[in-house]
Order: sequence, then structure tokens, then C-alpha cells
Amino acid sequence: MKILVPLKRVPDPQTNIQVRPDGSGIVTDNVKFVINPFCEIAVEEALRLKEKQAESEVIVLSIGGKECQEQLRTALAMGADRAILVLAEVPVDPATAAAVIHKIIEQEQPMLVLAGKQSIDDDAGQTGQLVASMLDWPQATCASKIDISADGGEITVMREVDGGLESLAFALPGLVTTDLRLNEPRYASLPGIMKARKKEMREVPLAELGLGATEKVKMVAITAPTKRQAGKKVESVAELVSLLHTEAKII
Amino acid sequence: MFDLELTDEQKLIRDTIVSFASEKVRPIARECDETGTIPASLQTQAFELGLIHSPLAEAHGGFGEIRSAVTGAIVAEELAFGDLSISLYLLAPRLFAYALIDGGSEEQRARFLPAFGAGPYSASAAVVEPRFDFDTSSFATTARRDGNNWILDGEKCLVPLAAEASAFVVLAATPEGSAAFIVERDRAGLVIGEREKNMGIKALATHPLSLKGVSIPESNRLPDLDLPRWLDHGRVANAAMACGLARGCFEFARDYAKERKAFGVPIAQKQAVAFMLADMAIEVDAIRLLTWEAAWRLDTGLPATTESARASRYAASSTLRVADNALQVLGGHGYIRDYPVELWLRNARGFSTFEGLATV
Repeated sequence: MKILVPLKRVPDPQTNIQVRPDGSGIVTDNVKFVINPFCEIAVEEALRLKEKQAESEVIVLSIGGKECQEQLRTALAMGADRAILVLAEVPVDPATAAAVIHKIIEQEQPMLVLAGKQSIDDDAGQTGQLVASMLDWPQATCASKIDISADGGEITVMREVDGGLESLAFALPGLVTTDLRLNEPRYASLPGIMKARKKEMREVPLAELGLGATEKVKMVAITAPTKRQAGKKVESVAELVSLLHTEAKII
Repeated sequence: MFDLELTDEQKLIRDTIVSFASEKVRPIARECDETGTIPASLQTQAFELGLIHSPLAEAHGGFGEIRSAVTGAIVAEELAFGDLSISLYLLAPRLFAYALIDGGSEEQRARFLPAFGAGPYSASAAVVEPRFDFDTSSFATTARRDGNNWILDGEKCLVPLAAEASAFVVLAATPEGSAAFIVERDRAGLVIGEREKNMGIKALATHPLSLKGVSIPESNRLPDLDLPRWLDHGRVANAAMACGLARGCFEFARDYAKERKAFGVPIAQKQAVAFMLADMAIEVDAIRLLTWEAAWRLDTGLPATTESARASRYAASSTLRVADNALQVLGGHGYIRDYPVELWLRNARGFSTFEGLATV
């Protein structure tokens, strides 16, 4: 079975993010970038499915500058078979990302697309669903467990919903987005890292995909959240009540 | 001629070890130190990472990777940044496996190495001897010929993994000079002594070995081991681990000093502390540069004995200084066991003592 995993390069969630003074984005100097954690879970799940089903192939895909090679290389070191990098000079919005993934799916004809449910930088949470709708494919979002039938024809997806678990099943091809508790991604092993060097990484300029104007969202400005004000100490309950009334205006 | 940029592969390897050290090693370091045990499951995880067996030939279950002392130093630094005891515990089987890769016969490699490729496998080396004038160029442990056999006599100490190792590489003096021998655990005359009570690296069990007329066949002598070179690799590994430990101390003290306030400002803004932190940062870099220089010489085939001795010697004293200063920056908090610095200081003290516990 062929599995396609789109993944996004994002700042390490452990990093202390700072907004550029002009509001055009975040400061990227000395910021470590990683595979978006939800995408990493998708890579891991694809690898586990591959381990269960002989003759499977896991293809990873990213969209962005040359620097995205790092994250694709990491996915190859974890065990993915080959990588595709669609070269885009500027960050793309979910609609464009979905259009690109759509094109690559047409080229590669995977049976399953596993994507992260959202990226931790923009938190749009749209790309997977957009891709499925463009293809008119069945989809299941926020998977917490995935099973594929022995013949590879049907997928069962467990979702954590309010009040319990929801189980969805559909015939492949289809698309699934991954939630946090689906699995714990492996580390790239030392031999895996050395083997990754020899794996194929195909680069495709965005223009070559023949996409028209797809941008639907424009990023206007990024501002840092206002700093939390220091608390106040009061001498008595009476003073507290009075301040809650006059200053905080909540009673 | 000068380039210290890591290769893409080295960066990925470092990322892997950084994650492993921060997620799996450091969280359990204190408990391991208190209980004096390390969970064996860590060895399974280390096996999955390929820490020991990736340079084994494919026929022996490895991946035939070319070994690099520089990459080894990066790995050792990051592991020791997690915890020194655990780092030594996980890397100790290299002492045995790499001695065979470098200096074993084809028959010896085929006999012992496939076990390393099949799963976590415990084997170690006995280098250090319990005497005040211990010298790696003249061992007191002796090996004499007896027909087709060798008879080994002597005392060894600070042997890691001794309680579970299936075989040891034992260094001994022969009439023709120092040599290395494979001694299986069940050889008559080999006695594994009581666990040693060490000041630091308390999570790692070390034992003395006593060899009393241990008879082993000629086929257990490593025919081609360049002993000084193998010891150079060991010194570089020790220096790299010292660097990781020192960096851990420095970063902890730095972060603490930025948070801890005295007289209304973080203590990091006080010159007495700021200068100390700056000196610690310089020491860490100095250890690393000396280590990498020696490692690079090992990788390029140049003589490296002077450089590795220098790196190891500098690392031993410098790490102790950095750990001690880190404790000082923490003040009273440095001295209590709720903070990790006293553990690191105890571990750091070992570097001038335990040559031969690791290799790159």
C-alpha cells in the first residue's frame, strides 16, 4: 500500500517565540525547526502500517524552501521510503497547501493520506479536510487509533469525541488526520540516519504544478499577546471587595 | 582547512540523542543514582537506536557503518548531558565490540559479534587495576603461554556491566608486551567481586575482577588490536562525556542565575556570578574543541595519543571545576539533593579516575 504523509516544518514547540518588531512574522534566527508534532505522529503511524503490511511505501511531502529538506530527511531517517519537496518561496495558506497535496496525490496515487490534524504554528486545522473534499474522498479527522483490514481495502478509525469514542470505517482510498494520542513517534536510529542519505528526495518547483491563484488567506500582521499584568496585594477583605467593585468591575 | 560544521547526518544523530537524553535519560537519573540501578529497558531502547551495533558488518547483524570518533564524541557528549552513569552503562558494550571490530580475528568476530546485532548484549572490558601506580602501558595483570593456551593472573577493578557481561576484553602484560584477551564469564579462575562502593556514578554498578590462573586458548587473544590507539579512543570518549556533563552543569547554573533574584535583580546580573558563568561556558567549549581535535585525528589516521591524553586530562580537571562552580552559583540549593548539581559534581570527580570505562 502506498501512503502519503504531508508534513510541515514548524518552530520547535519548546522554543521561546518572539515576534518581529514590524509584525511581519516571527524571529527565526537561532530558532530550531522540527517536524510539526501532529505530522510526526502521522509519519510514525504510516511506518507502523508499513511494518504490518509488506510491500508498502511511505512517501513524505513538504512545501516550502530548501530548508524543509531537514524535516524530510528526519522522516526518511525514521523510515519513510522517499520524499518530495515542493519548493515555494513564501509560506502557503491551507488552500494552497491542499491544492499542492491534491496535485501530488494525482501523480502518486496513494491509497491512504495521513496528515496531522493541524500545525502548531498557524493552528488552521484545515489542510487535511480540504484535500479530502477536493478529491471527494472519505475522511476521518483526529484519529486516536487506526486499523486497516488484512486486504488493505478498508480502514477503521477511532476518534475521541465528547463522552466517548467514535469509530468510523470507510473503503480506501481516503484521508485520515492524526491526533496526539495516536502513537509516540520513534527516534530516528543511527543506522536509519545513515540510510536516509541514499534515499530519493525529489524537488518540484511550485510553478511546475500548474496551480492558478489559490491563496485565500492573507496574513496581515502578527502581534505578541499582551503581557500579563503583575498582581496586587491588598491589606483586607474590605479593600479586595471594594477593588473588585471599582477597578475590576466584576461585582 | 578548518571546518567545525556538523554534517547533515551528524546533526540528525545529535537530534536523536538529544531527544533520547532529555526524554528518557535525564528524568530517571536521580532515581537511578539513589537506587544504584538502571532499568534494563534502556538497553533495549539503546539497541533500537543502534548505539552499539551500527558499525558491525552486515553479516554480523550490523549496518557496516564507518565508525567516526567525531560522531562518537557527539553521541557521548549528548548522552552524558542526560546522565553520566547511564551514558557509561549504555556505551560500555562498545569496549568489547569495537575491540573485536578493530583487532579481532575473522573467527572471533563471527563468534561474538552477531549477538550484538541480534539484541541488547552485555559485554565489557577490564582495563583499570587497583594499584596506586596503575599505568596503561605496563599492566600488572600477566598472561603467560602454556602450550597453546594463555594463563592469566591479576586483579582488575572498575569494570562496568561486570555483573551481567557474557565476556570481557582483558588487558594484560605478556613477555612480548601488552595484549588483549577475550575472557568468557564462565572461565575457571575468573571471579567477579563484590560491587564497588563509589563516590559518584552510583547508578552504574562496577565490580572488581580477579583472575587466578585463568586458562584461555590462543584463539581468544586479539591478534591485531592496536592497544594504544584503542585507549586513545577511550580517552576521547571520556573527554566527550566530561564535556556533556560540564555543559549540563553550566546550563543549569545559567538558567538558575537568570531566575534567582537577590537584592531585586537576577543574580546573573551580578558580576561575581556573571564572570563565573562566562568562564564555565569557555571551559565547556575548550573541552569540546580539544576532544574534537583528538577525535578528528583518530578519524584521519593521524597519531592522536598526545591529543587524546591532553583532551582527557583537561576535561577531567575542567569538568570538576565547572561542576563545582555550578554548585556555588546555586548556593545552598546546590548542596541539597533536590537539585541535580551535587550529583553531577560527584560524577565529575570520577573522570580523573576511571580511564577505560568507555570508548568512541
